Amino acid sequence: MALNPFFLQGSSSEQRLVQELINEQLKMYGVDVTYIPRKIVNRDTILNEIETSKFDDNYTIEAYVNTYEGYSGAGDILTKFGMSLKDELTITISKERFDDYIATFLSGEDTDEIILSSRPREGDLVYFPLGQRLFEVKFVEHEDPFYQLGKNYVYQLKCELFEYEDEVIDTSIEEVDTQIKEEGYITTLQVIGIGETALSSAVINDGYVRKIFLNNDGSGFTSTPIVQFDDSPVSGGTATAVAITTSIAGVRSVKEIVMTNAGFGYTTVPLISIYSGGGTGAAATCLIETTDQGVVSFAVNDAGSGYPVPPTVTIDVPSAGAVATATTGVGGTVTSLTLTNPGTAYTTAPSVTLSTPASGINTATATATIGTGGTVTALTITDAGSGYGSNPTVTISNDDSIKSTETASAKAEVSEGNVVTAIRIINPGIGYTAAPTVTIADPPLISGSGAFQFNELITGSKSGTTARVKNWDAGTRTLRISYVDGVFTDGETIVGAASSATYAVDFHTNDDVYDKYTDNDSIETEADLIVDFTESNPFGNY
Amino acid sequence: MLGTYFYHEIVRKTVVSFGTLFNQIYVKHNDSSGNVESEIKVPLAYGPAQKFLARIEQQQDLNRAVQITLPRMSFEMTSISYDATRKSGITQTFKAIDKKSKVKKVFMPVPYNLGFELNIMTKLNDDALQIVEQILPFFQPAFNITVELVNSIGEKRDIPVVLDSISFQDDYEGDFSTRRALIYTLQFTAKTFLFGPIADSTDGIIRKVQIDYYSDSDPKTAKREVRYTATPTARKDYDNDTGSLLTEHVDTTETVISLNDTSTFEVDDRVIIGSEIMKVTAKTSNSMTVKRGFSSTIATEHVLGAKLNVLSTADDALIVPGDDFGFSESLDFFETGADFSPTRKIDI
Repeated sequence: MALNPFFLQGSSSEQRLVQELINEQLKMYGVDVTYIPRKIVNRDTILNEIETSKFDDNYTIEAYVNTYEGYSGAGDILTKFGMSLKDELTITISKERFDDYIATFLSGEDTDEIILSSRPREGDLVYFPLGQRLFEVKFVEHEDPFYQLGKNYVYQLKCELFEYEDEVIDTSIEEVDTQIKEEGYITTLQVIGIGETALSSAVINDGYVRKIFLNNDGSGFTSTPIVQFDDSPVSGGTATAVAITTSIAGVRSVKEIVMTNAGFGYTTVPLISIYSGGGTGAAATCLIETTDQGVVSFAVNDAGSGYPVPPTVTIDVPSAGAVATATTGVGGTVTSLTLTNPGTAYTTAPSVTLSTPASGINTATATATIGTGGTVTALTITDAGSGYGSNPTVTISNDDSIKSTETASAKAEVSEGNVVTAIRIINPGIGYTAAPTVTIADPPLISGSGAFQFNELITGSKSGTTARVKNWDAGTRTLRISYVDGVFTDGETIVGAASSATYAVDFHTNDDVYDKYTDNDSIETEADLIVDFTESNPFGNY
Repeated sequence: MLGTYFYHEIVRKTVVSFGTLFNQIYVKHNDSSGNVESEIKVPLAYGPAQKFLARIEQQQDLNRAVQITLPRMSFEMTSISYDATRKSGITQTFKAIDKKSKVKKVFMPVPYNLGFELNIMTKLNDDALQIVEQILPFFQPAFNITVELVNSIGEKRDIPVVLDSISFQDDYEGDFSTRRALIYTLQFTAKTFLFGPIADSTDGIIRKVQIDYYSDSDPKTAKREVRYTATPTARKDYDNDTGSLLTEHVDTTETVISLNDTSTFEVDDRVIIGSEIMKVTAKTSNSMTVKRGFSSTIATEHVLGAKLNVLSTADDALIVPGDDFGFSESLDFFETGADFSPTRKIDI
């Protein structure tokens, strides 16, 4: 039977009136909530789940709290996974208001990120300011009340507290974003604020230990053994060294022996004793140099600061290299080469390289001839080149492979205070006639600056690792970070995207010491005292 | 009868050892290009907790903004049961040395199985699969962990942790009033041992055995003729008392060895280099003639700089139960009629 044609079942003007009344009621009796749409970053199309999401928009809308007597749901409960807050909330928002003020903007977003914009979506967040809580929309009811005057005017959003994992919440509303400031997996990045370059000087002498041969690495060490050289015949000239051990398959043995002082005055090869440390069998011998001089020790004149990792140490070459200049003539060709320093100690003629003209082609070439005493006696132009607008620079090689001398090398040791504590001798070199200049590389950052901001992205200069700032403590120079996508390298510089704050990384620890549920670290610490993993450890470091 | 206080914390240690297996599990999330977006070390905790403590620690802010953070793992002990298949003799004992080098008598431990449950709760199925895949391959179906169960005697036991079953709950069906819950549950059995009280033992190393042989069985007229004595001798250097160094490489057959100082050695001394024991037969100021591979050791090569130590009676006195040691034997012949007094330890 058809409807009575003499009665309207809801005209558009009536429907309009009802909608307006509802809008007005919501504005009078509602609460301003923040609607935060979920944006999809990555989706697993097989398991049908959103692997990564972000929440970086916000829309304020008035909502009526249906559960006016309090939250519904199971409340706060203790589960085997710790505290779980099962509060639920049902709110009502105007359909028209959503269409006009939220859906319109959502429809303009990237459709890969926002796959539905015409209605409130399950999975979106609602920030409820009274309880300062983030609720996730679990279900959207659009037919309650049921077709009053032939139309539905509101959405009911049935919400439950958000289960947080690693979603980025960056709505630009501080009150909302900071709600997860202490939630999720948070690790610690210790940074260095100020650095100062360390200074060192070298001492040269003869009768020193030229090289150490580790003949037997021994086994069974429980601590670092002592390395002792026979006394030098000259007082104060006894060489000293330290052993560096390594553990392979639970057996600790000597990996290498590094000199701290190469000694001086030795005329015969000293014996090396390796003892203590609980192990046996380690033995080493050495070579000495009695005629020429090498670097026998280093003094750390200024320990510097801000070194999270040992800096490189550069030592000047022992013998001067040859130096020459070039003169150009008509057509920009090289007409002559003038030797200004013949160098010393060459055993093979060095290579001669002239800089390339501005045109990038027709570079001049030349060769060198050496004479007795290892000096360069002549330079011969083999190709005059062309197109030089000015005199090219001449580079004559001076590396150890073509010389009778050898450049010393060393490595720096740094302490937990990030200062250089000692310089160890890797190779004392040979053929020094004067103490060479020692250059210790600058710390990663001479002066850190700025204050990191909450939620900003920081990036490591070397590793490219990124993370978001949860908290910055300028006093202790400690950053709490989250959303880390890799490993920050010790010594690299980190820069904040928003604040431009710049500091050098001292170290990064990946234990979350802030979450009160997490016991990984304390379990591991106790287990280290009782579990014996000398045989193997397939799970890694536990 | 019962009631001798002891507490080795064995069950607690087993709980800790089991838990630490799972404290380095990670979950990674990628962006749409496959680049790692974030990496999470999965939080782990022992599930049961004091309620008030959990509340005040984990919910310091009463208005906590979120329900829970995921993923999480929890583990708990679910059962303790006797394992008859590993039963050993109830009167069987073994000797152990405590941290003060005293010999202790220990009854064989009693085999008990501890049931464990590892629960994994995640927000995404993919997270759960990442976690489970980092665990399962190591259990075939058991994974052994070596645990020092009794600290006082340094008793270490292999505890097989057996993966008994895996189950999971994925409530994705139904209405929208309940949220999907993804929980994987792994059941394990840790085959541990419970030790009773550790008692002092009068046992130790027998430092000397002495037997007098008599030529007659009549105790009134019999005169002892021969005395046999045996004492333990060290096969390693305990006191690091000398420390001369070889000044040459020594092969396996060389019997004259050069060293930097022979003053601390005497002819007939037993010296040790590495694991080889040698007997000194002659010496000069910087070399010694030795008998190689003495005391059933094997002659091996030694490098220049290797250290020599003498095995003296001081080393013999430092032998402790469990060490590898040899014996020194001697025979004495008597013509007097004296007897040995066990109480005064002299011949009278």
